[in-house]
Amino acid sequence: MNRLINNSKDLILASANKMRWEIGESLHDSIIEAIYKDAEKIASRVVIKDQAKPKFDWDSTIDRLVTSRVLGLPIMVLLLSVVFYITIVGANYPSDLIADVLIGKIYPWLKSTAAALSVPSWISGVSIDGAYLAMAWVVSVMLPPMAIFFPMFTLLEDFGYLPRVAFNLDGIYKKVGAHGKQALTMSMGFGCNAAGVIAARIIDSPRERLIAIITNNFSLCNGRWPTQILIATIFIGGAVPAYLAGVVSAASVVFIAVLGIAFSFLVSWGLSKTILRGEASTFSLELPPYRPPRILQTLYTSLIDRTIFVLRRAVIFALPAGVVIWLVANVKIDGISIAEYFIDSVNPFAFLLGLNGVILLAYVIAIPANEIVIPTVLMLTVLVAKLHGIGAGAGVMFQTDSISDTASVLQTGGWTLLTGINLMLFSLLHNPCSTTIYTIYKETKSIKWAIVSTLLPILLGFIVTFFVAQIWRLFVN
Amino acid sequence: MSPATLLIIGIIILSAFAFVIWPDRGILARWKKIRVDSKRVFIEDALKHLYDCEYKNTVCTLNGIANFLGISNEKASRLANLLLEMKLVNILENSIQLTAEGRSYALRVIRIHRLWERYLADQTSLGSTEWHKEAELKEHSLSESQVNELAAQLGNPLNDPHGDPIPSEELQMPEKRGEPISALKNGEFATIIHLEDEPKEIYAQLVAEGLYPGMQIRMLDQNALRVIFEADGEETVLAPVFAANITVIPIKEKENIQESFHTLSSLKKGESAVVAGISNAMRGLQRRRLFDFGLVPGTKITAMMDSFGGDPIAYEIRSSIIALRKNQTDFIYVKDVERRSKNV
Repeated sequence: MNRLINNSKDLILASANKMRWEIGESLHDSIIEAIYKDAEKIASRVVIKDQAKPKFDWDSTIDRLVTSRVLGLPIMVLLLSVVFYITIVGANYPSDLIADVLIGKIYPWLKSTAAALSVPSWISGVSIDGAYLAMAWVVSVMLPPMAIFFPMFTLLEDFGYLPRVAFNLDGIYKKVGAHGKQALTMSMGFGCNAAGVIAARIIDSPRERLIAIITNNFSLCNGRWPTQILIATIFIGGAVPAYLAGVVSAASVVFIAVLGIAFSFLVSWGLSKTILRGEASTFSLELPPYRPPRILQTLYTSLIDRTIFVLRRAVIFALPAGVVIWLVANVKIDGISIAEYFIDSVNPFAFLLGLNGVILLAYVIAIPANEIVIPTVLMLTVLVAKLHGIGAGAGVMFQTDSISDTASVLQTGGWTLLTGINLMLFSLLHNPCSTTIYTIYKETKSIKWAIVSTLLPILLGFIVTFFVAQIWRLFVN
Repeated sequence: MSPATLLIIGIIILSAFAFVIWPDRGILARWKKIRVDSKRVFIEDALKHLYDCEYKNTVCTLNGIANFLGISNEKASRLANLLLEMKLVNILENSIQLTAEGRSYALRVIRIHRLWERYLADQTSLGSTEWHKEAELKEHSLSESQVNELAAQLGNPLNDPHGDPIPSEELQMPEKRGEPISALKNGEFATIIHLEDEPKEIYAQLVAEGLYPGMQIRMLDQNALRVIFEADGEETVLAPVFAANITVIPIKEKENIQESFHTLSSLKKGESAVVAGISNAMRGLQRRRLFDFGLVPGTKITAMMDSFGGDPIAYEIRSSIIALRKNQTDFIYVKDVERRSKNV
């Protein structure tokens, strides 16, 4: 009996297998086709369509305008420039206001309270000069630009314009193996790389999404613009006649940003040809109908989803980093701080790159946010050069009152035009901030891609600054 | 050290680095290839070749094995003796034949090879000329349970992307179908069921001509110098050596013959058409994505607008607007093209 059952089971399986070969693989397609046909039939019976066409078709008129060969590009450049301009100019006032409260009022109050309660100086150093100050700095420089940039960007997205930008630029991105929507994540990266990485969710093809995530760091983010502008003003503006200083230093910052875009294309191309060659890839881009943006909802979601989200991560990383910054400047072995040991030992390597140990250390310990790189550099320079009367003491980040004060601190630190140029390059080509690295890990769920996105730009930065330094010393000096 | 010296050192280090990690030709890539157990590779490749002979009903000789593996006759005979010892083959007077055990071993290897090709075609973005190369490496390293898992994940596919059947888990194969393209009479319609992927130069040429399994063709003319046929409305000319690697089945019933199809990419701005079919060359994720948009045979589609470079183009599909790239629209066939213009 058992054998009989086994026999017939085998027979059924065998004939099923044979039938599979005969039917072939188009079965799935036929099923999907039939489902759509049925759905269409049902829909045609129960859905009434408004036959009368509106007199004026807004959608296709706007589409004709924004995708036209003559007007399309200028409209895009103009809109994005306005967004960036409003962000940079508009962020200054609230930034000053927050800094005034957090650093100008609360910080001295905390210090004097700690002194009044006779808290040991190392405790108030670690917690107030280190952790609190780093956190306050990050909040005051990060919050306003994000709170302005993200809602504006989301409004454009909501209105339906941004998918058209992706559509227009897709031809270029296709050539480097990427997706047109990378234009959007890249623009978002100019606001904040962590937000740019999150924005890469809009790309549904796995390979193109990874490319967009890994190359996002080449968009010069909000935290790096001030560094670029400051260094360009001091060193590049200072190297040309005064009447040209403004134009030349502005042009050099724009050059760095454009260089970043060039690198993002180059690296996208390289990634799609090498390590991401085999990842799955599809293309799809929906162009939704235009609709009036829902302003209140946009404000709410962009504040909660993007601004607060990114800021929270940044603050979480800023607290321990602030402690580290204070400790490296204050923990001393034989009267010499850890920071000085580190700076001395990496100086020869930094020299090869046309930088100095202070810059390298600053980029290591100021990893939570690019915004605190310059304050850290200033603090370390004062510490190493043993300057007196400048700054607020070892481990306390500070900013000078004027650009010329910053310039004089840096020049005492031995900075040259080459240092300035290479710092600008290194500021573009170095690891993403810890918030971004963590976000990359969260988004890709892969330690491997987080490491690749961290090390790749550093490696590029080392290569570029090394060659610039050697060629500079060969031809200019 | 002077900057000039450093510059030279820098360039040397950079080129050494490139030399190591360069894709395909770098030391790292070569090392990966060498690491595969070479003895096992030879055995399995020889068995595959023997099975191929059996499937095609041709006689397999020692010379044939030596040629196929690119080794000397002497080495090939040592290999044959090894196979004999392992009871995988019987050596007859002037041919070598598989034993039942050898056949099932060969089928296991072929199953891995074809499944892996299918995986690469469906779920990665590797180009069609690379599938075979990658599968040649992979077929020697997957375990049986891994293979069955892969097959299940791919939905137990029947054919590899070249149209070859994949042996089932019980190592069953369907009967060989089809005939060489040269068997077609002038004017006869046929469907391509298989493109041979060895040697790869010929395969690359067939792919470059845009041929793929499932494509319908019509024989126009053939002589000793060339074979001329119509494929998707375009005249294709091949040397007989190349055409010999194409297997077809003639189409008997008239209704299955596709007539005057155009590719979606030929649709101009403002023109509408009805989707006739999606080519089999559009597979895996890509194909599913198109279905998601409701792009199935019978769907009306209208070209709406082009981007700066003319690629991608936005189409209206079921009242939403979807942008598609040319490398997708080349593989979507449409009929009933309406040459009328919208929005004028």
